[in-house]
This record gives sequence, structure tokens and C-alpha cells, in this order.
Amino acid sequence: MSAAPEGDGAPDVALEEVRRSFGATQALRGVSLAVGRGEVYGLVGPDGAGKTTAIRLMAGLLRADGGRVRMLGEDPTHPRSQVRESLGLVPQRNTLYGDLSVDENLHFFSRLFGLSKEDFAARRERLLDITRLGRFTGRRADALSGGMYKKLALACALLHRPRVLLLDEPTNGVDPVSRRELWELLYTLVHEGMTLVVSTPYMDEAARCHRVGLLYAGELIAEGGPRELARRHGVAASNFEAVFLALVERRNGGRAA
Amino acid sequence: MHPLVVQYRAVVVKEVRQTVRDKRVMALLTLVPLVQLFVLGFAVNFDVRHVPTAVVDRDGTVESRDHARTLLAGDTLDLKAEVRDEQSAEELVERGEASVALVFPPDFEEHVLRGSGARVQALVDGSDPVRSGVAADAVARHAALRASQHLREQARVRGETPPRPAVELVPRVLYNPELATAVYVVPGIAAMLLLIVTTIIMAMGLARERESGTMEQLQVTPLRPGILMAGKVTPFLLIGLVDVGLALSVGAWVFGVPLRGNLGLVALATLLYVLSTLGTGLLIATLSRTQQQAFVGGFLFMLPAVLLSGVMTPVRAMPDWLAWVTYLNPVRYYVEVLRGALLKSAGLPDLWPQVLLLAVFGAMVMAVASRRFRKTTA
Repeated sequence: MSAAPEGDGAPDVALEEVRRSFGATQALRGVSLAVGRGEVYGLVGPDGAGKTTAIRLMAGLLRADGGRVRMLGEDPTHPRSQVRESLGLVPQRNTLYGDLSVDENLHFFSRLFGLSKEDFAARRERLLDITRLGRFTGRRADALSGGMYKKLALACALLHRPRVLLLDEPTNGVDPVSRRELWELLYTLVHEGMTLVVSTPYMDEAARCHRVGLLYAGELIAEGGPRELARRHGVAASNFEAVFLALVERRNGGRAA
Repeated sequence: MHPLVVQYRAVVVKEVRQTVRDKRVMALLTLVPLVQLFVLGFAVNFDVRHVPTAVVDRDGTVESRDHARTLLAGDTLDLKAEVRDEQSAEELVERGEASVALVFPPDFEEHVLRGSGARVQALVDGSDPVRSGVAADAVARHAALRASQHLREQARVRGETPPRPAVELVPRVLYNPELATAVYVVPGIAAMLLLIVTTIIMAMGLARERESGTMEQLQVTPLRPGILMAGKVTPFLLIGLVDVGLALSVGAWVFGVPLRGNLGLVALATLLYVLSTLGTGLLIATLSRTQQQAFVGGFLFMLPAVLLSGVMTPVRAMPDWLAWVTYLNPVRYYVEVLRGALLKSAGLPDLWPQVLLLAVFGAMVMAVASRRFRKTTA
């Protein structure tokens, strides 16, 4: 993975002391982070850490109870926000139309983003090429394998060439080969200048990011480059799980998670 | 093409594709209403005939037998059993084997011959008011006819001119001369089926979009909630129009419902009506989290909407306070337009208040639904 690019000023994505609860459950407890242009930021943590809540807040699907969320300098929940034109989301759940084919899903979302027929034809070809879905264009989305479905979701989210792409556990339930392919695809996008925020419960995926934020019980317990965090805890970058467990132990006063 | 039009067209095409591919939804939209119209058209019948009748002839004379035979001659009352006493007759009524019992007292013939007011007792099962009313009416009509025959006979014996009744009623039934129930009921059933199909489909369709997460995917696109709503409503508006066309064709062909009036007016009223029912479906969807909740919500709305519409029972028969509630019910106005236009050839000059109220209701419910929809999807 190449080094993180130098930011040119304002971050593309910023959370400032963001709090969000669901009933009595505090999903995020004053989380602050900033993601610069062209950066791959990994939100790493176990299930229930608050990763999905953070991604949904960034996408404008949720409002924060407190603090401030900024996406490309705007409040993403504002009704007149233009941020949706520049934002792509690959949610954790299967949220495409299962009863429509691969091509029909791509075509539908291209129309919503106002792509011309010519633009769509060109992007469709490229996206089918990089996702290797070209042979399955007529297949219903609900008949795709887990990995192929994620690639289709990614293709739909990339149709309008977003500046920021949010991915909520994109490799969850995906076989190792498809997982590697998916990450290769993400690097391609980063090389093209896209900013990526990826949430993942897999510690080994942290090493693939420029920077990671370790989320635990709604708190950001550490943040930094994966190598730097590993060095700080005296473990190899490939053993990121040890870093995470050490941090959780320290936070819990000597007790492991 | 304007970007909003492009988005609108994309949503319409998507809805049509999904609807056509879902065989159950297609059946619900086309086949089920037709089958139900067919079945209900035959099943709902207010014509009361062949009421089972018990006869207690304690007189056992020529006169009493003649009266009993005349009473049972038409197709209103059918002889179920002849029993010896009132108690046995009452038992038959109690068991539901007879709805009416005619009791001829022992001195029946004697009173008839003397002209001193012979009495026939009719025991009527009041638990079915329609049937018992018709049976009691048949007995009363028989008594009046016999009384008038008796007066004429007496005058003839005395060599006088038979008296004419002071007032003679000459009924002429307009619009539905054969008083066929189906002619009255089928337009009501068409309105009811359209309500069920469109409200449920809309409520569940939108709830499914939320439940399956596709709504979330749409929320991160520039698609505006208003355009999404318009795109979702359009195909069902057209399907509603086709449904009514099919229902009225079957109504005319199978049940002899006349198609007298202005069909353009019927189409306009149908569009406004379906706008109201779809708007209600949308409103229910905004209040539901799951398809199951949407279905129950739709059902809870539809039941009173049908009962308080005049489809089954006339609004005039309801208590005043309840009749007022029907003014808030679009089904009522639509049924009035259908019956007025189809049976009485009434046009816009007669039915404009109903059409206007349908438009007002449709606009209001759509406005409230879209406001809530925007709130819940923003």
C-alpha cells in the first residue's frame, strides 16, 4: 500500500465529538476523526463497536445527537445538501433490487445520478470490466454469489464517480479470493484520487489502510497509521489483532475485551 | 430531458418491471379482483326468496287451507313443515329450521264467514331483520289483498258497485326496473376491490423498500422523495384504471350492469379515487416499519372505509353522527359517482360535488403522505 497522500486543507470527511444513541444504547460517545483527500481510512472494531453508525452518519442516513458531521464541508443530512452527487455508499446489507438484473440495477442507478446514455455506456463497460461481472449482466441480483453481489453494489456506487466512497464491511461474508480482488479494486480507485472510508471487523484488513481508527464500545480508542500503531505496541504490522487487544486491555484497566 | 423527468421515468420503469415479474402481485392486481367481483356479484344478494315457513292450522277448514295455500303460492314463503301447535312451531323457528310460522286459530273460518275479523298469527324470527321484514310484508300484503277482495265480494252480493280504494299506489321503478341486486352492488364491489388492491399494494410496496434496505440506497442518491413517490404511484394509477375497466366490463357482461353514463367522467373519478387510495397506502407505509405492519394498517383502514361508504348498507340508514363520518370517506363519493353515472346517466353537472371532493381528498391525503414521506426519508 502506498503512503497516505498529503491533504490539501479541509478534510473530505470529518466527525467532531459526535454522539449518537439508540434508546439507552450509546452507539458513539464523542468520536472525532478526519479523513483527507485520497486517503484510505479504516474504521476497525468488533461487532457493536459503532462502525455502521459512524458510516451512516457520514452518509447522512442518520442525524447525530451531538457534535458535528461534515462531508466535503457540508452537513450531509441537510435537505439541500449537494453532497449526494459526490458520495458513494456500499452498505453492509444487500440493498440492491434483487428482482432486477445486474444490468437493470446499473441502469436504474445511472438514471438517478443523471448519467447520459453515452456516459453510462462507457462507465458500464469499465465497471463490468474491473468487477469482472461482464458475464453476469442478465443475472438477477439475488442470484449472485456474496462476492459478486458486493462487486455489483460497488459498481452501482461508483457509476457517478463519487469523490468519497463509504464502504460498510464490504468484505463481510466474501470468500478470500473475492476479498483480495475487492481490495485490489479499491486501490485502483484510490489511485484515481478517491477518498475511501472502510469499516471492517477483520484486523488483518487494517494493514491495507493508510490510517485506521480503532473503535471499541462507541469510542475511538486509537488512531494512526497501521505500522506506527504496531510499532508503538511492539508487534508486527501483520499482527494487528495484538495491537487491538492490547489497547482494549489498557482501556478496560487490565482486562481483555 | 430534465434530470427530474429522467429520474421519474427510471422509477416508473423499475416499478413496472418489479410488478410484472412478481406473479403474486400481478395476480393480486388483475385476476383476484375479477374473480372476487364475479363471486361477490353472485353472493351478495338482497333479494329475499324461499323463506322457510311452518304452518300451524288449528282450524283445518277449507278457508284456512285456502289462505295457507295462497300465502305459500309465491316464491317468498316456502312450506317447511306443518305442525300441530304453536310450541312446535316456535321450536322450529328457534332451531333456525323455519324463519316464519303461520298460526291459524281454531275459529278462523267462522270469523271469515261472519266478517268479524279473522286473525292469522305470524311468528317471525327477528334475528335476521331483512328476511323477517320481507316475510312479514308478504303476510301483510296477503291480508290487505284478501280484505279488499272481501269488500268487493260483499258489494257484489248486495248488488252495489264495488268500492275503489281512496288511494291507489302505482309504483314505477326507475334505473333498475327489475330491482336486480347485482346492478346496484357491482359498482360498489368494484370500488371496494380497487380500494383493497391499491392501498395494500402501495403500503406494502413502500414498506418492502424500507424493510429490504433499498430505500437506504435510494437515500444516498440525488433522487428526491417527491419524484420517488410520483414514480411509484404512476403505474398503479394506470393499473387502477384498467382494473375498473375490467370490472365494469364483467359487470355489464355477466350481471347486466348498464353502462349508460359518461365513461370519461367515470375515468376521471377513478383516477382521483385511486390517487386517494394510493395516498392512504403511502401514509400507512410511512407509519409502518415492516410489510406486516403495513398490511395490518391497510386492513384497519379498509374495513371501516368499506362499511361507512354505502357499498353494503345505505348511508341514509346510519345514525346521523355516523353518517357525518362518511363525508370523510372517498369510497362514498366514488360509489356515488359510479352508481350515478352508470345507472342514472348522471353527468358532471349532477356529480361535480362528488368529483370535487374526491379531488380535494386525494390532494390532501397525498400532501400529508408526501410530507411524512419526506420526513421519514430525508
